[in-house]
Amino acid sequence: MNKRWLTIMLTVLVLVSMFFPFIQLHPHTQLEAELSAQFPSSLSGYEIMLSDVKALPVDSMPSLSILSFQGWAFGLGLILMLISGILYIINKKSTLYIAIISALSSVLVLFYASLHLQNISNTLVFQLLLTIQGWAWIPVVLAALNAFVVFLDLRHHENVSITSVAFRKIGGVLCLLSLLCMLLPHVVSGVPLGFVDDANSVQAMNQQENLWTSMMGDSPQLSTIAKDNNVFADVLTADLAELESLSGDATNIKGIFTIKTNTASIDILLLFSILLLLLAGILSFIPKVDKWFPLSISTIGVLLIAIRVTSLLTINAGDMFTTAAKQLAYIGVGHVTIAPIVLLLLAICAALSHLLGLQYSDSPYFENPLPEGVRIRVVAAALAIISFVFLMLPTTTFSFYKPGMTKVQSTVELYGLGTVIGHEPDNILHPTDSKGKLLYQEEEKGNGFNDASIETTMSGLLSQIQWVTILSAVLCALGIIALLMKKDKRISMTMFLATAVLRIVHWLIVSSGMPQNIGTANGTALLYVSIGTLVFAAFFSNFAHMKALPKKYRLFLMMLPFLVAVFLFSYLPLYGWSYSFYNYKFGLPMSQQEFVGLKWFAEIFTNVGMRNNMIRVMQNTFAMSGLGLLTSWMPMVFAILLNEVSRAKFKKFVQIFTTLPNFISWALVFSFAMTIFSLDTGIFNKFLLSIGAIDQPIAWLNSGNHMWLKMWGWSTWKGLGWGAIMYLAAIAGIDQELYEAARVDGAGRWKQIQFITLPGLLPTFFVLLLLSISNLINNGMEQYLVFQNSMNKDTIEVLDLFVYNITIASKGTSLYSFGTAIGILKTIFSVTLLFGANYASKKLRGESIV
Amino acid sequence: MAQPISEKKRIYKLHKKNKVKLSGWDIAFNVFNYTILTLFTVACIFPFYYLFINTISSNELVRLGAIQLFPKEIHLENYIQVLKIDGIAEAALVSVGRTVLGTIWTVAGCAFLGYLVTKREMWLRTLWYRLIIVTMYFSAGLIPWYMNLRMLGFVDNFFVYIIPGLVSPYNVILVKTFIEGVPSSLEESATIDGAGYFTVFCKVIVPLITPILATLCIFSAVGQWNSFTDTLMLMPSGNYYTLQFLLYKYQREAQSLAALVRTTQDVGAISNLAIKQTALSVQMTVAMVVVIPILLVYPIFQRYFVKGIMIGAVKG
Repeated sequence: MNKRWLTIMLTVLVLVSMFFPFIQLHPHTQLEAELSAQFPSSLSGYEIMLSDVKALPVDSMPSLSILSFQGWAFGLGLILMLISGILYIINKKSTLYIAIISALSSVLVLFYASLHLQNISNTLVFQLLLTIQGWAWIPVVLAALNAFVVFLDLRHHENVSITSVAFRKIGGVLCLLSLLCMLLPHVVSGVPLGFVDDANSVQAMNQQENLWTSMMGDSPQLSTIAKDNNVFADVLTADLAELESLSGDATNIKGIFTIKTNTASIDILLLFSILLLLLAGILSFIPKVDKWFPLSISTIGVLLIAIRVTSLLTINAGDMFTTAAKQLAYIGVGHVTIAPIVLLLLAICAALSHLLGLQYSDSPYFENPLPEGVRIRVVAAALAIISFVFLMLPTTTFSFYKPGMTKVQSTVELYGLGTVIGHEPDNILHPTDSKGKLLYQEEEKGNGFNDASIETTMSGLLSQIQWVTILSAVLCALGIIALLMKKDKRISMTMFLATAVLRIVHWLIVSSGMPQNIGTANGTALLYVSIGTLVFAAFFSNFAHMKALPKKYRLFLMMLPFLVAVFLFSYLPLYGWSYSFYNYKFGLPMSQQEFVGLKWFAEIFTNVGMRNNMIRVMQNTFAMSGLGLLTSWMPMVFAILLNEVSRAKFKKFVQIFTTLPNFISWALVFSFAMTIFSLDTGIFNKFLLSIGAIDQPIAWLNSGNHMWLKMWGWSTWKGLGWGAIMYLAAIAGIDQELYEAARVDGAGRWKQIQFITLPGLLPTFFVLLLLSISNLINNGMEQYLVFQNSMNKDTIEVLDLFVYNITIASKGTSLYSFGTAIGILKTIFSVTLLFGANYASKKLRGESIV
Repeated sequence: MAQPISEKKRIYKLHKKNKVKLSGWDIAFNVFNYTILTLFTVACIFPFYYLFINTISSNELVRLGAIQLFPKEIHLENYIQVLKIDGIAEAALVSVGRTVLGTIWTVAGCAFLGYLVTKREMWLRTLWYRLIIVTMYFSAGLIPWYMNLRMLGFVDNFFVYIIPGLVSPYNVILVKTFIEGVPSSLEESATIDGAGYFTVFCKVIVPLITPILATLCIFSAVGQWNSFTDTLMLMPSGNYYTLQFLLYKYQREAQSLAALVRTTQDVGAISNLAIKQTALSVQMTVAMVVVIPILLVYPIFQRYFVKGIMIGAVKG
C-alpha cells in the first residue's frame, strides 16, 4: 500500500513540475521593443505541452515556425504515467504487466521530450536564443523513480512471475531496435529561409545525415554541395552585409560551410560496436547459448557506442556551437539530433535487461566458464598479453622547443610497434612546427643545434629505444609462451620481471636522453601502466599451478584499489613539494622551471614585506585559534547546564535546535550575517537604534574592527551545540549509581556536578583540547573566505586563506612556490605539535591520542 | 516487566523528593539556566526564521529595513523568480548528484575498506593500515593538492566531487572499530557455508553495521551538500556549479546579479516594487532554497548523530 502512495505522489509531482520553467527565452537586443515584449521570459512544461511553438509569437515572426518543441511528448508521458498509476492501484495480475510497460514508456517518452528540448536549446534561431533549464529533466527523473517503484513491487507480487527468458528476449529486441536507430538522421544542416532566394539551393543545402552513412564514410560534405549548387555566391556575397548585422562577425559565417560534417572514412569503432550488438541480439533468441555471452557482448557494445557517441556529440558541439560559436547557429545552420543518444540508451537498456535476466535465472550469479585449474594461469597470461600490446602502442612522447624558447612547438608520439620494425618517424628526426616549418635549420644556430645534429642525436636515442623495446617484446613473448606451455613457473616470472625492469630502463633512457634545450621526452601512461601489469603478471604466474590464490593475497588484491586511491590523492601530491625549490611558472614542464633552492623559505624571514605579511597573518591565525582554545570549556559547560534541565522535552528541543547551525555551510552563515547585520536594513542595527544604544548604524561586516571577536562569535554560534553533544554522550556514559549514592549521602546539585559530572568529563575535554592544540594553525579557510572583504582583509586573513589569496585567487601574480613553501612549513609545524600533544598525553594520562 | 515500572516509580519519587528540597539557590540556578539555554536556542533559530520572513515579505519593505519580527505583504514571487534563474536548475542537479553519488561512493568504500583491515590474515595488513591512517595527520598543502588534481585531469570534471573521497581515514577507523565489536561467530559460520569475503561483507557484515553506516551517510551527505570551496578552486570554466557555490557567488556579485534577474523578469512586474527582484532578495531566496533540504531531512537524521559521536568518542 505504501508503494502505491509513492506512485501517486510521484505522478502528482510530475504534474507540478510541468509548471516549472523549462525553457528560457532571450530575445536579441536588436529586436524592436514591441516585438521583444511579445516573448514570454520563459516557457513552462505546461505551456510547451499545450501550445508547443504557438506559445511564441509565431504570427509576428513566421521564421519561428521551423521550431517544434514536441510538446505532445510531455502530454503523452503524463497520460502514460497516470495510466500506469491507475492500473497499479487496481493491482490485478494482467493490469500490473501493462502498468510496468506504461511506466517504462512514460520514462522513454518524457526522456524524448526533454532530450528534444535539450537538442534545440543553445540554438539561436534568428533573433532568439533558447536555453533549456535543468527543471526539464525533473519529470524524467520522477518517472524513472516511478517505474522503479512499480518494478520493485512487481518483483514481490505473488501472482506475477518474471523469468529470465523474458528479459533475455527483451534485451534481444532492444539490441535490434538500437540498430534501427542507425538510420535516424544524426546531423541536420541547412540554409535558413530568407537568406537564399533560390528554392533549389535551399533544397540542396538542407541535408540530413544518419549514422549509417556517416559510418560508411560516404555522406557528402556540406561545403561540396554548396560549391556545386553555387550557394556560396547567394549567401556569402549577396547577403553578407545583411548577415553581418545579425551575427556581428561575417567571417564566422563563412566557417559554417567549411565545417566538416563527416570524416569521409569508415568508422571502425562504430562498425565494430554495431556488429557486436547484432550478434548479441541474435544470440539472445537462441536458448542454448550461455546466458553470459549476450550480456558480455552487449556490454562491450554499449561501451564502444558510448565512446563513439560522446565523441560524436562533443565534436559537433565543439565545432558547431562553441568555437565558431553561437554565431554559426545564429543563422540557423544545423544541429546534432538525439539519434546517437537514443541509440546509446537502447543499447544500455538491452545490457540492463540481460543483466536482469541473470538476476532471475535459477542458477548462481556467476559461473566462471573457465575450468578451475587454469583460472590463475589465464589471468596471468591475459595480463602479460595486455602488457605486450602496451609495448606496441605509444610508449614515448617527444616535445620539441624552438631554439631559445620555452614553449612547446611540436609533440610527437612514438609507437612501440614502429620502433620494433625499425620505422623512424621523420618528425622526430627532423622536428617541424605546426605549420610544417623545420624547427632547427642550418642558418639558425641559436644554441649549437641544427637539423643535421638533431638527426644524429635523435637517431642515437631512437636506436637505444629500439633495442630496449625489441628485447622487452621478446622477453615478454617468451614469458607468455612458457606460461601457456605450463613450463616451470619461475621461467615466466623471471621473464615478466625482466621485462618490467627493461620498461624502467626504457623510461630512464627517454627521460634523460634528450638534450635539455631542444626538448623533453616522457613515457606515456601506457608505459607506466605496463610496468604494473607486468609485475602483476609475474605475481599471478607464481600461483599458476594453484586452484585459487592464497587468502592473504586475495585480501591484498581487494585492498589494492583503495591503496592506489590513497596513493593518488594523498601521497602523490607530496611530489608537489618540489615546487617550493623552483620559481614555479604555471604550464611549463619541470625541466624548464628555474631552480632557486631554498630562496622561498629564506624569503619568509628575510624579505621585509613578506615578513610583515607573515607576522600579521600568524597573529590572526594564533588569535583566532587562541580564542577558540581559551573558550574550549564552553561546550562542556553548555552540556552540563543542559543536563541539569529536568524537563525532557525542553532538553530535547534545545539540543536539536542548537545543533542545527553545525549542519549549514559557511556561505549560508554569511547570508544570515548579511540579513541580520547589514548596515541599513539589518534588524540588529535597527534594534540598537531604537533602544538608543547607538546614534549611527554600525557597519558590522564591512569593517576590520574586532574581527577576531566577531569570527570567534560566529564559530561559537555554529559549533557550541554540536560540541556539547560529545559531552552529553559522555555524561550519559557516567554510571547513574554514582549520582544516587551521592544523593543518599546528601550531596546537592553543586556537589554532584563538582565531584561526579566534571571529573567524568575531564578526560574527554582533555583529549579534545590536545587535538585542538595540534590544530593550532589549521583553522581552515571557509569561514574566513566568506567573511573576507577589502575592509577587513588585514585582520581576517589566517594562514590557509593567505595561501589561497596569494596563489589560486590572484591570477597572473600567483606565488605558487611561496605558497607551497608555507604549506610545507605548516605541515611540519602541525605534525610536530601533534606529536608534542601526543607525548604530553602519554606523560599525563598514560594514553596516546593518535 | 515489573522491574522498569518500579524503577520509574523510584526515580519519580526521588524526583519529587528533590523538588520538595528546592532551595533558593536552586531556584536561582534554574532561572539562570533556563534563561541562558532559551536565549541561545533562540539565537540559533532566529536567523533561519528571519531569513525566511524576509524572502516572503514585500521586497520594497525589506529594502527599507521594515521587516522585523513578522512578515509583511506576503508573496511568493521571489521563489518563482529564483526558479527561473539561468543555471540554478543545473546547479540543483549537480548538488543533488554529488550528494547522492559522493555519499554512496565514500560510504561503500570506507565500509568495505574498514572490513578488509579487520582481516588479520591479509598480507602486510598493519603496514597498509598505517599507511592509510597516517594520511589523516599530514597534508601536502593547497598548491600541490591542486596541481595533483590538475595533473590527474580532475579540473573542470564532475567526478572531482566524488572520486577523491573514496578513502577517508577517520571513517575507516569508525567502521573498523564497529566491526571489531561484532561477534565473529556470525562471520565464521557464513565462511564455513562457503561464502567468500565479498559475500560475507554484503550479506553478514553490512546488515550488522547499519547504525554506523547511517551516521557516516549523514556526515558525508551534509559535507557534500555544504561544500563550495572545491567548486571555487577546481571549476575555472564555470561548469558543474553547485547551489552552495552559486550562493557564495551571488554574495560576491550582488550588483550584476540584480541586473541579471531584472532582465528575466516580466516587464510588467518590474513596476511593482513589492515583487521587484533586488540583489538582496535573490541572495536571500537562494540561501533559503539551499537550507530547505537540510531543514527537511534534519528531523529524520538528528537522532543518528548522537550514536555516531559516541562511537567516535570511544576512539577519542
